[in-house]
Amino acid sequence: MRRRFDPIVLWQMAVGVLLLGGWELVGLGPGGVWTSRPSLIAAKLAEWLQGSIYINIATTLTEVVTGLLLGSAAGVLAGLLLGRAPIAAGILRPIVVAFYSVPLVALAPLFIMFFGLDMLPKIVLTTIVVFFLLFFNTFAGATSVDADLIAQVELMGSTRIETFRKVVTPACMVWIIGGIKTALPYALVAATTGEMLAARRGLGFLLSDAASQFDMTSLYSALFILMLLGLLVGETANWTERHLLRWRHAEG
Amino acid sequence: MSGTRDLTSPSPRGRGLGGAGFAVPDFQAFLSTPLGRSLARLLLALVLLAVWQYQPSDKLRFWMSGPIQIVARLWTWLLDGSLWGNVGSTLLAMSLGYVIGTSIGIALGLLFGLMPRLHRVLSPYITALYAMPKIALAPLFVIVLGIGIESKVALVAITVFFLVLNSTLDGVRNVDRDLVRALSVMGATHSEVIRKVLIPATLPWIFTGMRIAVRYAFTNTLLAELIASNSGIGFMIEYYSGVFDATGTYAAILVLVIMSVGLTELLTQIEARMSRGSAG
Amino acid sequence: MPKVELSAVSKAFVTRDREVQALQPTDLAVEPQEFVALVGPSGCGKSTILNLIAGLLQPTGGTVRYNGAAVQGVNRAVGYMTQKDTLLPWRTAADNIRIALELKCRAGPRAEVEHRVAQMIDLVGLNGFEKHFPTELSGGMRKRVALARTLIYEPETLLMDEPFGALDAQLKLLMLDQLQTLTRQRRMTVLFVTHDLGEAITLADRVVVFSARPGRIRTIRTVELPRPRDVFRIRFTEAFAHLHESLWDELKDEVTRGTDV
Repeated sequence: MRRRFDPIVLWQMAVGVLLLGGWELVGLGPGGVWTSRPSLIAAKLAEWLQGSIYINIATTLTEVVTGLLLGSAAGVLAGLLLGRAPIAAGILRPIVVAFYSVPLVALAPLFIMFFGLDMLPKIVLTTIVVFFLLFFNTFAGATSVDADLIAQVELMGSTRIETFRKVVTPACMVWIIGGIKTALPYALVAATTGEMLAARRGLGFLLSDAASQFDMTSLYSALFILMLLGLLVGETANWTERHLLRWRHAEG
Repeated sequence: MSGTRDLTSPSPRGRGLGGAGFAVPDFQAFLSTPLGRSLARLLLALVLLAVWQYQPSDKLRFWMSGPIQIVARLWTWLLDGSLWGNVGSTLLAMSLGYVIGTSIGIALGLLFGLMPRLHRVLSPYITALYAMPKIALAPLFVIVLGIGIESKVALVAITVFFLVLNSTLDGVRNVDRDLVRALSVMGATHSEVIRKVLIPATLPWIFTGMRIAVRYAFTNTLLAELIASNSGIGFMIEYYSGVFDATGTYAAILVLVIMSVGLTELLTQIEARMSRGSAG
Repeated sequence: MPKVELSAVSKAFVTRDREVQALQPTDLAVEPQEFVALVGPSGCGKSTILNLIAGLLQPTGGTVRYNGAAVQGVNRAVGYMTQKDTLLPWRTAADNIRIALELKCRAGPRAEVEHRVAQMIDLVGLNGFEKHFPTELSGGMRKRVALARTLIYEPETLLMDEPFGALDAQLKLLMLDQLQTLTRQRRMTVLFVTHDLGEAITLADRVVVFSARPGRIRTIRTVELPRPRDVFRIRFTEAFAHLHESLWDELKDEVTRGTDV
């Protein structure tokens, strides 16, 4: 079944052409020093695609993905365990809530001071940022599992572990997925910030390097790639939610 | 079943613990009271601080500093006034950026809401810009606006703008068309419909967006200060860590934590007051 | 020995500073394979009794005995179908029905499990909806899933709290019929809470009428109608009408008393 061609797409393309055209014109004039122009940017991107860009993309992606995996695993585990230990939960909850709101990304310089220039400080930063997000979300989920669901499964004869596996963990999934959705863009921000502060490689490094040399064309090119990466991250977040939480979107 | 989990009698599982039958169950019960919890937290904090201060390795001392030194440094800052300038700079940048971003976000959101076709045409570009990590724009702003407060404000403004724009659009999309029609049928003019239906109905969404935006404004102010600024708390963190002054770094982070917790408290109070006001 | 025995069982709830007496000291004995219906106005403690037997609540006074032993903790010998359906929202209908058979205490060969699940789905008339999630099902359908998942592991005692309240009249009769067949076949003991006196008389061996809050037993009446009963036609018999009338008089008093309060 073919979708009907939506005329709005034509307008969107027209706007795009207008924007690019206008940019090109401005770029050819005196302001071009600040704005560069699409043709130059495209050329620079093409040049990068010949080879030098891949290591930078890989660096940033590695930092993001590693931090995401480590932070999520630790955060979910801690959240589940602590969430079901009511005494510990009661004691720790206000502390966790208070610290949840501190912008941990601002600690980037601290880790750079500890760990130097390479990927490690960014990975540590990303891991910690993701950890707290996921810990808090999972914790909230684990402490709010419907007691009736648990009682029902216990009546059927489930052991504690079975209750945990079959009820508590799936019930928390909504919260966990919510945490991952929030964490993904934050992980990218953390990695990029770290790279802009001090790095030898990475997209953030490309960006600040270009800025320090007043190379506007490279700057915009790097921004463009970061934008694409941001879109990729966002789509991954959405896909994860749609796929893992199918039962939520099912409507009667 | 629901809602009637037993509060009065001890849990069947709990009855088995503590063979002697006096110390353990009572201890557990005590920890569930507000007083018990506060004491536990206090104890936890004291233990952690003690370990931090008196940990034996001298090598670690350089990197870890200690609570006493950190507080002492903070005290010095308070006395010589250097702290307030930076705190003020952060707060100022955050507030200006917030106000600017919110105003433009609401205005454009309402505009797009009233002209949905315009919105649809522009929406892929908005989405693309929204996806970019805003902090990446910081170097650009520094080049164009310099290293002062303007670039910070610009970054915060753009971040807040996108958030509030999204929320406002959500709100406009959710306005009940029937309400609009009802008023139009009564004979209301276009601007009357906007004033009497559209804006009030969208307000809850706008407020939600504004609430979320405060956090992001704070975070991005700090990020901007890290990357390119010569004042502010973020700048302080960056500066002291740059010269490997661990005590200074931690002291600045402490200020950050205090500001953050204070901000959260303030927001909670404002929200409580507002919801009381609207309920009354 | 009675399957379930309540001896001077009372229950009070403490909320904030108020103490609410849900159940006054009550005695009740349910014999094995007996079908007992509990009727009464809202808030009279019927659900509380079920919770006590299931071990989800502890009595404030008296003892609850199951198979002669005092109930300590969760009572795994009973199946409990609650008023609010507690289906796991992330599992399909079939997966929800299957869950009791997945547990270690009841592990069985996969093929057999699937067979029984299919049987159950057929029994409650949900063919074609096995792969639907609870949010995709109507209230009545969710109840049927809850029924299936409780019956599938054939607990020796069944506790049911207004299980068919949300169903339309025709479906209700069908379900009542199925319930009668199954519980007699598997020799289950049943405690059945309902607002519907007709339902109670149709299925039960004895009907227990509760008073308004604070609840206590007002009357216990044996239902002398012969078994097996034709669920669809029994309400048109004279014996049914007599019983219904006399029980309704008792019940009516309590219901009006309840609403005055």
